[in-house]
Amino acid sequence: MDLSLLFFVKILVAVLAIIALMVANAVVMVYVERKAAGFIQRRPGPYEVGPWGTLQAIVDAMKLLGKQIFVPANVDYVLFFLAPVLAFFPVLLLFLPIPFGPYLTSWETPDGIILILAFAGFGVLSNLLAGWASNNKYGVLGAARAVSQSIAYEIPLILALLAVVYQAGTLDLSVIVEKQGSWPWGWNIVCQPLAFFIYLVCLVAETNRAPFDLPEAESELTAGFHTEYSGMGFALFFLSEYANMLLVSFVCAVFFLGGYKGPILDGFWWTFIKAYLIMFFIVWIRWTFPRVRFDQLLNINWKWLLPLGLLNLWITAIVIKVVG
Amino acid sequence: MEEFVTPLVDSVLNYLGDAINSLQEFLSPYLPEASLAAYVAFAVYTLIILAGAFGAVLSRNLVRAMMGLVLTFLGVAGMYLLLASPFLAFMQLLIYVGAVCVLIFFAIMLTRNTSEGEEARLPGFSALGYGLLSLVAPLAVFLPLLISRGRDLKTKVPEDPGTGVLGEGLLREYVLPFELISIILLVAMAGAVFLAYRGYKPLKGGSE
Repeated sequence: MDLSLLFFVKILVAVLAIIALMVANAVVMVYVERKAAGFIQRRPGPYEVGPWGTLQAIVDAMKLLGKQIFVPANVDYVLFFLAPVLAFFPVLLLFLPIPFGPYLTSWETPDGIILILAFAGFGVLSNLLAGWASNNKYGVLGAARAVSQSIAYEIPLILALLAVVYQAGTLDLSVIVEKQGSWPWGWNIVCQPLAFFIYLVCLVAETNRAPFDLPEAESELTAGFHTEYSGMGFALFFLSEYANMLLVSFVCAVFFLGGYKGPILDGFWWTFIKAYLIMFFIVWIRWTFPRVRFDQLLNINWKWLLPLGLLNLWITAIVIKVVG
Repeated sequence: MEEFVTPLVDSVLNYLGDAINSLQEFLSPYLPEASLAAYVAFAVYTLIILAGAFGAVLSRNLVRAMMGLVLTFLGVAGMYLLLASPFLAFMQLLIYVGAVCVLIFFAIMLTRNTSEGEEARLPGFSALGYGLLSLVAPLAVFLPLLISRGRDLKTKVPEDPGTGVLGEGLLREYVLPFELISIILLVAMAGAVFLAYRGYKPLKGGSE
């Protein structure tokens, strides 16, 4: 490991840029999501504050900052405040190995995807802690759902990514992008359509978004694991949820959609365009499909995605062995 | 006064300097050559591991104890990073924090975990005895090794061979132990299902 000063400065700048990206992403996506939801449900969405309601998200953020932090009775203080912090900070690390552009990677590590998967585990842990520490039955129920859902959907997600890793022969995200072509038919989505589909389903489930948002199903659990959080505690959960969405979209763009490569002029703009198309897709299906039941959710995973993922991996391995 | 104090301070400083020098001389054959940053990182990770371990053992609350365990795993992952094996460090986090701890948490939530429960009581005499035994047993194994082989341990930190070499090793040279481990996991899983399975009873209303 290079311990030089330059490396530290680079990581520091990268982390600051990632924080800026996270906040900007949350503000923009809240507006886009509410406008898209309005369009899909035939209502205007936000339109009062600023032109076309564009300042609504900023005003909401100000309101959130000004809110009192309310702590319920008989709460484990340390764990209660540790949970949102634990949700927010590991996400910063997750963006480090993403190759945004040909020369725009914060940390070129040969084990990039393992780093992302490893620190993604802290998100589950923070949801669990939040639900348990709030001393609230909805919180505990939401946390229990969060853990069985995340553990289940992590397996086909890893299987889908593994198929691409088999193909590229590396865990390095930059190399995975390098091995894909510039035109859409050279991307991994063409030779790994099943893996792409499995990954797409799993990314919605892993980020706790509708139709798989059982841990925070508001019609049954009020707000699930973050019921008791107000003010900045809630803001941190909110930020990390949108950052997680952005992260899985970036990983999807890198693994299946050619990353920073495009028909003309390779660069970070392609990564961002692809990632935000997937973000829009996530928003779109949230307002299109109703929430599934919990047993249905687990059945989709254990009876369909997991066997399909294994089959896909098996076929990939055989094809690689036979062809090259 | 001054002519009395100054030689005293001098002698104390001399004594301390000598003590540090002699300690360094005594330890130097055992210490691997590494940069100061590596030693500082080692100290920090050791503190993290110890703090997590004490937190896990001493807290009267199962969830807090588990967070201590998570802290220890983080420290161990840092040690792997220090040993130039980032793959192992990330795997440590992926498996132990992402899966094992979350499952432990799930098990805690399924039990009645009250602040006056069984685990909140102070440990009895026998538990303390077992704790002492678990402290002495690794020491009994590693201390003689360290003393007899300590001088040979002075090696450089190996280069990271990369995941390719690790995979080759696991699936060529060490394929039998590797597969045996998977069989152990399979047996454990089958055993858990066998213990928990109480026969299939369809719901009266008929679900799905």
